[in-house]
Amino acid sequence: MARKLSKRSRTKIQRGVAIIALLALLAAIVVVAILDRRVTQQFEGRRWTLPARVYAQPLELYVGQSLSSARFAQELARLGYIATMPVDRPGTFRRKGDSVEVYVREFRFSDEKQEAQRLSIRFDGAAIASLADANGTDVPVFRLDPLLIGSIFPIHGEDRIVVAPDQVPDLLPEALKAVEDRKFDTHHGVNPLAILRAAFVNVRAGQVEQGGSTLTQQLVKSYFLDSRRTLRRKAEEAVMAFILESRFEKADIMNAYINEIYLGQDGRRAVHGFGLASQFYFGKPLSELNLQEVALMVAIVRGPSYYDPRRHPERALERRNLVLKVLAEQEVVKPEDAESAAKTPLGITDNAGRTANYFPAFLDLVRRQLREDYQEQDLTEAGLTVFSTLDPLLQEKAEIALSDELERQDKSGRKAAKGLEGSLVVTTPQTGEVVAVVGGRRASFDGFNRALDMQRPIGSLAKPLVYLAALQSGRYTPASTILDEPIELKLENGDLWKPGNYDKKIHGAVTLVRALTQSYNLATVNLGMDVGLGPVTKTYVQLGLDEAPPKYPSILLGTAQLNPVQVAQVYNTLANGGFRSPLRAVRAVVDEAGKPLKAPELEVTEAAPAHAVYTLDRMLIEVFERGTARQGKRALPPGLVVAGKTGTSNDYRDSWFAGFSGGHLIVVWMGHDDNTPTGLTGTTGALQAWTRLMASISTNSFEPLMPEDVDDRWINYYSGLETSPYCPGAVSLPFAIGQGLEPSPSCPPGTTQEEAALMLLVNPDGSPEDTTVPAREIAEPEPSAVP
Amino acid sequence: MRRSTRLIVATLLLASAGCSLQPFKTEPEPAAKSSAPPPAGSGPVIAEPPSVAEPGTAEPVIEVPPPAPLPRERPKVPPAKLSPASQALVTQAQSQRKKGDLPGATVALERALRIEPNNPLLWIEMGRLRMDQKNYAQAEAMGRKALSMAVGDSRTQSQAWVLIADSLKARGKNPQAQDALSKAKELSAN
Repeated sequence: MARKLSKRSRTKIQRGVAIIALLALLAAIVVVAILDRRVTQQFEGRRWTLPARVYAQPLELYVGQSLSSARFAQELARLGYIATMPVDRPGTFRRKGDSVEVYVREFRFSDEKQEAQRLSIRFDGAAIASLADANGTDVPVFRLDPLLIGSIFPIHGEDRIVVAPDQVPDLLPEALKAVEDRKFDTHHGVNPLAILRAAFVNVRAGQVEQGGSTLTQQLVKSYFLDSRRTLRRKAEEAVMAFILESRFEKADIMNAYINEIYLGQDGRRAVHGFGLASQFYFGKPLSELNLQEVALMVAIVRGPSYYDPRRHPERALERRNLVLKVLAEQEVVKPEDAESAAKTPLGITDNAGRTANYFPAFLDLVRRQLREDYQEQDLTEAGLTVFSTLDPLLQEKAEIALSDELERQDKSGRKAAKGLEGSLVVTTPQTGEVVAVVGGRRASFDGFNRALDMQRPIGSLAKPLVYLAALQSGRYTPASTILDEPIELKLENGDLWKPGNYDKKIHGAVTLVRALTQSYNLATVNLGMDVGLGPVTKTYVQLGLDEAPPKYPSILLGTAQLNPVQVAQVYNTLANGGFRSPLRAVRAVVDEAGKPLKAPELEVTEAAPAHAVYTLDRMLIEVFERGTARQGKRALPPGLVVAGKTGTSNDYRDSWFAGFSGGHLIVVWMGHDDNTPTGLTGTTGALQAWTRLMASISTNSFEPLMPEDVDDRWINYYSGLETSPYCPGAVSLPFAIGQGLEPSPSCPPGTTQEEAALMLLVNPDGSPEDTTVPAREIAEPEPSAVP
Repeated sequence: MRRSTRLIVATLLLASAGCSLQPFKTEPEPAAKSSAPPPAGSGPVIAEPPSVAEPGTAEPVIEVPPPAPLPRERPKVPPAKLSPASQALVTQAQSQRKKGDLPGATVALERALRIEPNNPLLWIEMGRLRMDQKNYAQAEAMGRKALSMAVGDSRTQSQAWVLIADSLKARGKNPQAQDALSKAKELSAN
């Protein structure tokens, strides 16, 4: 038929083809121009969205710091320092007995850049004995580079640490070229031969073994395009790669590739670029990677999921060694080096499938505090550096203490205590810094953050606030007696509220100190109603909450619902002598250029009279001496003075403990997410985790200075009558100077040790001989403590 | 017999409690304050003669609680000192303040405070920094925090009162500033 076409019609067709070709060319020019504009603009103003990087607090080194050489070596290892000999480059150290030589990395702190330098540290058992620089000059105080604990990445989850060319080991680009794109230095973006070869290899192998994409194409694919594999996208990719190559230097493209490429997945966080991947897999900076580590990273490029060294170590190892072989063949490295590198293990940090040192609950607190001053976009894109208050060692111990206790409860055989959840917060009271946060029993799981997102009744943790209000009123002392007698209160809704005691007993007239340390409900309600709900609820704000709880009588027994961080805020003020410091998780924020930006400041505000808080704190010490936390004392190092309070909510749904030493405040919550009873009190649950942690950290006794307007007196714990230190039931507590106290008739002040000896034999505990109303059983079981 | 002995002891104690100089403990040891008898010397000292004898208060009265005693002198505590590490950081902070690098000074002082959170001198330094930052309320608060840690240390207390006086003056609270200053002077004379 075609042969029969007339000359005329042939001309017509030719003309049509020409017009179409012209149009196609025009369209192509337009498309290329558009792509060119897009590529050039985006690539020139190249700014990766840079999530804010968050660092832990640095380890401070100074003479006298309690730190052993072994623990110091552990801390260095956590920071990715390598034990080696000689110590000749940043990131290396050597420990020999009680001395450590370390080549500290360069680091830009918020106030100054610290150059890389060598330090010699001598330890004297459990403390630093001397600290000197490379010239032997004594250094008074020195910060190690801090641990990178995460980034605040956007919802789409792309996270990276951008590296400059001088932070990239020379081997990496060479290895990338050798394995991925041998013609990189000469091609124009695409390598048709490579594509053909790859197609051939793939067909023969029956699976994708070799990609034909150049590094430039891979970069374009990741940077500009989505991951759909269509022919149109392939063409676009090739054109854009060509444009990129014609507009930019090879070195620029290589650096962009190193920062852009996807190298792994950590939950919903996508690990991009070799800078972050180096931290993600090896826990150290890219510049410090050795041959086998670089080889592994290059191996991962081809399939971050398929060659995931944590999930598929054999595959990853095989491919790494293949990369090493190629590097030797291509004469990038010496064959003997490649061979010995191939014999090494993968060397990745453990923590299967997630970044070492990942603390989602703490990061969550950091993010929320930053949101006060910054837009979400500033945090996820502007490349800020955040210096946080996290103490990695303490955080690790906190996670262990909580999970160990929860496991012990699992195995206790009590059904209600199985599968408990928990949360834990640690602060340093004087500076108000949050040093550890655990949001659940799986601490590295980025899920429901119980430290912040849960609101639970605080139970008896509320009692110290009632007693503080009483002491502040000036009408009560620790020796005042209050009635632990049944009370009926008409509530707002007309219901009658009849609280009861935990031990189902009534104890009659009891001293303030005894009622608090034994956590008597009836005495506390009577006291609170006498002091007034107004003054009591006001103490919540005084001690640091934003708003007071409603003025219901049940608030006296802890129906106010708080999260562990809020409890920490309240108790921090008690641990800090009545000075309120808003809790901080952030110390400083700097921008990309290192300029300091807005960050929460250290603040102290005198929130409650010193004598009242001091007196209350001394009573909280008695909780450990003779109260509900007495058994916790045994698990602590001998002589360590601590103060605290147990909390149990209605029907044993929540088990709390909040308490402090001189250096640390710890708040623990344990319970079920579905709010079912746990069968645990504050003592049998949370206190156990609390003492585990307190006993495992380096801390000091709670020994506040006595304010000038009070003085110690000896009283009988049960009667409140003044007594001698040798008498049974004697307890020393602070009183306003000149406070009138009734002397005990049976064992008055001045009773000698000899005189008291007999009484101690008869009644070593000194229990209620002076008590006017003896304790008695109640026949009927009391209704639950809280309506 | 025993009872009467006790009565006399009690009488003596009450009398002495009114006006004797009781030992002041710089570090309360509440751990020892359980029912176990404390080591000798930590209890009330009965034998000690009343040092500020006041006629009337020495009269033995049992039923009526003794009247308020005179404010007692707290035993002197040696002036607070900085550890070498804190000293280095304070020196650094002071030079940074001179140069106007207040964020830098903040970092240095906070580092020192983490090393020695109970050292009142550091809280005074922090207060001085808050003065530079024109945050006078916090300057005063830092001074008060320092006071709470300097019980018995009149030199440090005096420095804290000077800081408080400065912070009050900066807010135009001149009468209170004057009071604070006279407290500082009184203490430095001790």
